[in-house]
Amino acid sequence: MRELPTLARYPFLADTRQYIKDHGPAITDLLHDLLYERARLTSIERLDNALSDSDVGERSLATDADCIMEILSYPLARMVTVCISDPYFQRRYALGEAYHTYKYLLTEPTSFLSAVAKELGLSVHYTPETRLRLFFKDYLRYAPTTYKEWKMVNREVAGGYIALSHKDLARVVQETLRARINTELSGRPCDEDVNRIFMEDIRRLQTILQQRQRRQDAVPVGKLHPEHLPPCMTDLLAATQAGENVPHMGRFALVAFLNSLKLSPTDILKLFSTAPDFEEEKSRYQIDHITGATSSTSYKCPGCDKMRTYGICPTEKMDGLCRRTRHPLNYYSAKWRQEKKQ
Amino acid sequence: MMGGDSSQAFLRDAFEAFYRSHPVELPDRFTRREFAFLMFGGKGMLRHLGFERREQFQDFLEERAPQHAYYSSAYYQAPSAPKMQDKKWMGAELIFDLDSDHLPGAEKMTYVESLAVVKREFQKLVEEFLLGDLGFSEKYVSLYFSGGRGYHCHVKDPTILDLDSSERRELVDYITARDLQDSLIFHERVTARRSYGTQEFASGTSLQMPSPQEAGWKGRISRGIIEIVEEITRSDSPMEKLKEYGVKEKDAERLVQELSEERVRRIRGGMLDQSKAIRKFFLNSALRKTAVSLSAGETDEPVTCDVKRLIRLPGSLHGKTGLRVVPIAIDALERFDPLRDAVVLPDTPVRIQIPSELSVRMKDESFTFSPGEHEVPLFLAAFFLGRKQATLQEPNP
Ligand code: SF4
Repeated sequence: MRELPTLARYPFLADTRQYIKDHGPAITDLLHDLLYERARLTSIERLDNALSDSDVGERSLATDADCIMEILSYPLARMVTVCISDPYFQRRYALGEAYHTYKYLLTEPTSFLSAVAKELGLSVHYTPETRLRLFFKDYLRYAPTTYKEWKMVNREVAGGYIALSHKDLARVVQETLRARINTELSGRPCDEDVNRIFMEDIRRLQTILQQRQRRQDAVPVGKLHPEHLPPCMTDLLAATQAGENVPHMGRFALVAFLNSLKLSPTDILKLFSTAPDFEEEKSRYQIDHITGATSSTSYKCPGCDKMRTYGICPTEKMDGLCRRTRHPLNYYSAKWRQEKKQ
Repeated sequence: MMGGDSSQAFLRDAFEAFYRSHPVELPDRFTRREFAFLMFGGKGMLRHLGFERREQFQDFLEERAPQHAYYSSAYYQAPSAPKMQDKKWMGAELIFDLDSDHLPGAEKMTYVESLAVVKREFQKLVEEFLLGDLGFSEKYVSLYFSGGRGYHCHVKDPTILDLDSSERRELVDYITARDLQDSLIFHERVTARRSYGTQEFASGTSLQMPSPQEAGWKGRISRGIIEIVEEITRSDSPMEKLKEYGVKEKDAERLVQELSEERVRRIRGGMLDQSKAIRKFFLNSALRKTAVSLSAGETDEPVTCDVKRLIRLPGSLHGKTGLRVVPIAIDALERFDPLRDAVVLPDTPVRIQIPSELSVRMKDESFTFSPGEHEVPLFLAAFFLGRKQATLQEPNP
């Protein structure tokens, strides 16, 4: 079993779960007992930090009590996130936990990093004598290959494994953890008890989210009506705004789509700027390229068939209108007409 | 074209006879696959078919004798559902489709020449990338002659069946060297320093190539560059060699001049501190030499990225050549000759009309035909008829 501070820093590890099982309180005590008030407060701190800094934040882990409260705040934060039931917030929270882990992992010995990676299901090879290497399948899935320097072609690949630095593997672990938290929380039902205890904070966070949404709607971005967006574009926009690693083609389709709606590159940039890892220059470059501001051609948004080929049409979210249209742009204008009729 | 219908009927009968005596082995987990066919004389594709039992499938082949047979590289929960989204995708083989259609200059080549060029690309793909860099085990890598103008590779390693389209796209980018950044491959090395008082400056830098042994594209580019240098310097007429590489006369002259012995020595030693033109030439040529050129599907996108793709069924006959989609053992690829090893139809004599001179080498035998009526073995007739290079000679009334 690892040391208590380690468990507190990495609350997603199996060791930590085991610790809670063996030594933690019953769930009702965790929710009601005054003893755990601090864990409950910390869980909300995690959420607030995730929303404001995309990092759940660091707290003192000097004493055993510090560590235990930190450990217990993790499952609580997850339960509250489920009750807030906002896809954007959930993504944001997952990123906050994952980024927090990334920062800690940078300071750890490589052997520890590699053990954590393995626990998250990544195929990593590491011995003190050899370089860190990651199985290419895991690399494809979790490395941010939308960036040039992350493309496999610019990496050392041999025998199915890709050589990585400590920092790069930490980044891949971050993505893996983010994806994992996202899947774990998606579709989970909100616990009524949790909902009642944290009612006030849940309401507060929901209000903040609504205000943000409203402010964003108010941003004079061309004539974009988010409620008319087809499911594919809603997803792509949400993922981009949450700073997720959107596949190249997805980014491309989204920018081309928005451009067709007469949004200027600056408007599009503004829309994307909520992403926590937003890099203005890089995005500007990509947007200008796709919209034709810097290249001679402006690209067209692909049709539904092509979107499906690239796996960026969320087929499980397709609605009746989707089935009747063959192009995301047609969906958008059809939605307009539908609305006017009503 | 005269006799078009009868040619089609003739081919159909030949296919039927073949399928009756040569059962086609089904792909693994065939009940999870979609099948599709084009029929002789039929309009449009017969799609969304599923087969529950082997006999059903064999009966279908024998009774319908399709012109072309395809199956889905994907596994589905409900392969015969008519709508793609209802099929419920479970995973898909990783497919590489190399076809001569897209090769630059393929229009000017004969069928045999273009197939030879595709084979070289295919060998690169399999040896360098799939078995090499990506480390797939040979048991998961199956190679096929497509029956037409190229080769197919199916990778069935269970760990990669669930790769999504953008992950496959990244693999394609790797194999085709798209977005390769030379700044990440070559680095400047300071070769001389000069000091002014207490300050030191780099007064000479040189562009260092990675060692040829390095992993991935780094080593590959270096190996490519060194190979090209050797080829040019060893050649009796370096100018001609350069032109083969697509260098224009004037540039070639300059390059030959600039490639002094000293410079060649430096390149072999890993220094690429050459003039910009030379550097660019080497980098581009090395890329072209070592990267794989992949075919694009209807969407201009390599077939590999499409996770719901139909692909020609191994063991079936190709309706435009009469050749069979045969498996090729990895170590037999070098020796593989499609016009010998994929010829499976019998040699029963058939009378055909040939409108203009034709020559072809099939089954290790050379055939040349002047325009007119000829009696030829059935496999040859099928090849010409399928490619519309001949028509069936109607029996005299
Ligand atoms: S069907 Fe077309 S419009 Fe609807 S989600 Fe898919 S790609 Fe978008």
